[in-house]
Amino acid sequence: MINRREFIKANAIAAAAAVAGVSVPSLASNLITSSDITKLKWDKAPCRFCGTGCSVNVGVMDGKVVATHGDIKSPVNKGLNCVKGYFLSKIMYGKDRLTQPLLRMTNGKYDKQGEFAPVSWDKAFDVMAEKAKATLNKSGPEAVGMFGSGQWTVQEGYAAVKLMKAGFRTNNIDPNARHCMASAVGGFMRTFGIDEPMGCYDDLEAADAFVLWGSNMAEMHPILWTRLTDRRLSAPHVKVAVLSTFEHRSFDLADNGMVFTPQTDLAILNFIANYIIQTDRVNKDFVNKHTNFRLGETDIGYGLRPEHPLEQVAKNNGKTAGSSTEIDFDTYAKFVSTYTAEYTAKLSGVPVHKLEALAELYADPKIKVTSFWTMGFNQHTRGVWANNLAYNIHLLTGKISTPGNSPFSLTGQPSACGTAREVGTFSHRLPADLVVTNPKHRATAEKIWNLPSGTVPAKPGYHAALQNRMLKDGKLNFYWVQCNNNMQAAANINEEAYPGYRNPENFIVVSDPYPTVTAQAADLILPTAMWVEKEGVYGNAERRTQSWYQMVEAPTGAKSDLWQLVEFSKRFKVEDVWPEELIAKKPDVRGKTLFDVLYKDASVGNFSLDEIPKDRLNHESRDFGFYIQKGLFEEYASFGRGHGHDLAPYDRYHQERGLRWPVVNGKETQWRFKEGSDPYVKPGSGWDFYGHKDGRAIIFALPYEPPAESPDDEYDLWLSTGRVLEHWHSGSMTQRVPELYKSMPDALVYMHPDDAKARNMRRGDLVKLISRRGEVQTRVETRGRNKPPIGLVYMPWFDASRLVNKVTLDATDPLSKQTDYKKCAIKIVKV
Amino acid sequence: MTKNNESRTDEYHVASFVAYPIFEQLTEVQKAITRVDGTEIHATSAEGKIVFTIEGHSYKDIGNKMDTIRNHKGVINLSPVYHQILDESTDSENN
Repeated sequence: MINRREFIKANAIAAAAAVAGVSVPSLASNLITSSDITKLKWDKAPCRFCGTGCSVNVGVMDGKVVATHGDIKSPVNKGLNCVKGYFLSKIMYGKDRLTQPLLRMTNGKYDKQGEFAPVSWDKAFDVMAEKAKATLNKSGPEAVGMFGSGQWTVQEGYAAVKLMKAGFRTNNIDPNARHCMASAVGGFMRTFGIDEPMGCYDDLEAADAFVLWGSNMAEMHPILWTRLTDRRLSAPHVKVAVLSTFEHRSFDLADNGMVFTPQTDLAILNFIANYIIQTDRVNKDFVNKHTNFRLGETDIGYGLRPEHPLEQVAKNNGKTAGSSTEIDFDTYAKFVSTYTAEYTAKLSGVPVHKLEALAELYADPKIKVTSFWTMGFNQHTRGVWANNLAYNIHLLTGKISTPGNSPFSLTGQPSACGTAREVGTFSHRLPADLVVTNPKHRATAEKIWNLPSGTVPAKPGYHAALQNRMLKDGKLNFYWVQCNNNMQAAANINEEAYPGYRNPENFIVVSDPYPTVTAQAADLILPTAMWVEKEGVYGNAERRTQSWYQMVEAPTGAKSDLWQLVEFSKRFKVEDVWPEELIAKKPDVRGKTLFDVLYKDASVGNFSLDEIPKDRLNHESRDFGFYIQKGLFEEYASFGRGHGHDLAPYDRYHQERGLRWPVVNGKETQWRFKEGSDPYVKPGSGWDFYGHKDGRAIIFALPYEPPAESPDDEYDLWLSTGRVLEHWHSGSMTQRVPELYKSMPDALVYMHPDDAKARNMRRGDLVKLISRRGEVQTRVETRGRNKPPIGLVYMPWFDASRLVNKVTLDATDPLSKQTDYKKCAIKIVKV
Repeated sequence: MTKNNESRTDEYHVASFVAYPIFEQLTEVQKAITRVDGTEIHATSAEGKIVFTIEGHSYKDIGNKMDTIRNHKGVINLSPVYHQILDESTDSENN
């Protein structure tokens, strides 16, 4: 009889051995599934951190999560964890976990200038509903708004979209995913007419070459990086190219590491296209059958406030910024011909031989190449262009939609794809790629929702950056933030966000498990349940939809975002929010609450509690009286079924380690747009980019254009911001895990030793980073994992005590409205 | 910032890992792992992947030891796989 320590150690060894593919003879193979000795109840859940979508097994004992291990059955992580996933079980157990609603009060009454004091949920919702109704009466639906998240579950995002777009009749809902992958969405819609990657993670084991464009996978997507490392080390012919504006951990594995001047990635992408054409390696058959060429509008501005000098001089920063005209191949070839190796090398600072080695990976027809990109492309004032230009080089060579040939946009959040994109929590979107500006799309939504025609407003709402500006300007007055920390994450918080939250005309509600800086800037804080304290679904970067059950009770008093949204809807009669002429079109809604109309009496309410296994917790369903997670999922899924976004029946996801959509006849899809692997492709076509009516993808002629702000005599350094391995985004969860805090406690400014020396600074010196907008104090780091070139500094943004976003510029891509956090001009002085 | 109580000694922690060393530095990495207190190597694959465990008495303890190994220059990648905590404070069965 082995003792308990030996038993759990044997489990640990067995799990790691299985991952490494080795056998450890002394172990019994069934140990991992046995739980008799430790009385652990194991269940699967997707990790709640990045967009990779690893599956973890969660071990619960006495109502608490006490063990986690990488899920060996998961095709994504194959039993591995990263350091964040490894400490996953601890995120729920921070000492300052919120368990009571907190309202700013003076003498027992709400007061914007008051101190936070605990109130009941009833009182919290009373005040909240009163403020929302007062705003609706005074200024109408356009003064009501919500900021959500790619960390919402699919069901939460869908419930929120319905509450805002149909209930309150405002499109002012946007996710923090706007900061993350709005440019990727723009790129997909423009080139392919349908969102999300065509390839999948299986490309990692099939590619001969990997190119990382503005993606530090070693730190931001460690599990995918492990798979890439595995491929590189086990197949010696495999090459890895890494491009960034500073040297980082991913350069360790690079055969060709390239540090380029910010913004010149646009030129490098065009150079590669030119190289492919000049060396006669265009896949003409593919290009003729499956692509069109278009010339895009240029000089489109920088998405700043209209009075900003840069917007005053921009010629095409209005509605036509995204327009284009048809051209032919020869015109395109002439367009890119200016991007010679010599010109591009001079502009980018990357030597000619490195540029040519990079271009050759794409041009050589024998090399299967996968391109990965993340925030370097997306947080870019020409982010949509960068995405378009990357697709160009895969399309010119036909290296797309086949194993190993994959232009792959990675996402940052666990459900950036599943919730933010697929559900359509953007200010211009509806579920399944539908948009509010299209009358047919609105009619589809109104039909599925069984609501009168004209319910959903046609005008796109305020996007993320605009929400902060409108709060400041007093045009957005009732504002609810869930599942994100935007006071830390948004750019230029000094001038836009903070004045907006504290504007006396506004009422700000923040739902969070922890007292983040955003929560502390609010008027009402709602304590929130997280991750396995609720049931949900996430969708990862390779279109994989994954579900999990509630496994533990939330701390008493904390409620999930879903419960909050739906419970709040009970406070509104249809008459409170809809005009009489709309109600008259559907008189049976008269006297009903939004809870009735949007959830209980809609198809959301179709599934009874009997469908929930008896031994499962499900706080929300048992409270509302129907299986709400299933109802929301099934109603949402009806938007995409038969339209290229097919999801399986909800119950199946509880059995699977996720499925990649479209799921047709019970089968998932690995590579979209390719005959044989995608059921939507027309037989005999080979490839079919069916997002566009003619089945063709678009190759765009788009130039290099300079960034919004570059260093000058006074502000003489580039500043790039970003993330670190140990912390998830703003650190509101991971900063509460002592091991992660200890290994990366403070956000330092990483700078080149020569830059430090020139300013008479040493490692560890206290310094100020100053821009035209604000300043932040931190310490100098001249060694370590990030090695910036001369002239550029890097500072991560996870640290709430040193808010680098007081310094950054809120320039956005005019097409995607996504902020560029990767480049602005600053100076650094000693304190 | 929350500081959890990490000094408890009545917890037993075990965690398992796969390390991916630069192949030429395999022996050196193996030595570096065994130098850390509480570690044990259980297997090494033909490609050089090392399966090992760390035992300790707190998250912090395991975290510190993991960092030491992760920062070794011969380690390209270190993947945690499994972690379990045994609360032995009220436990009369354990030895």
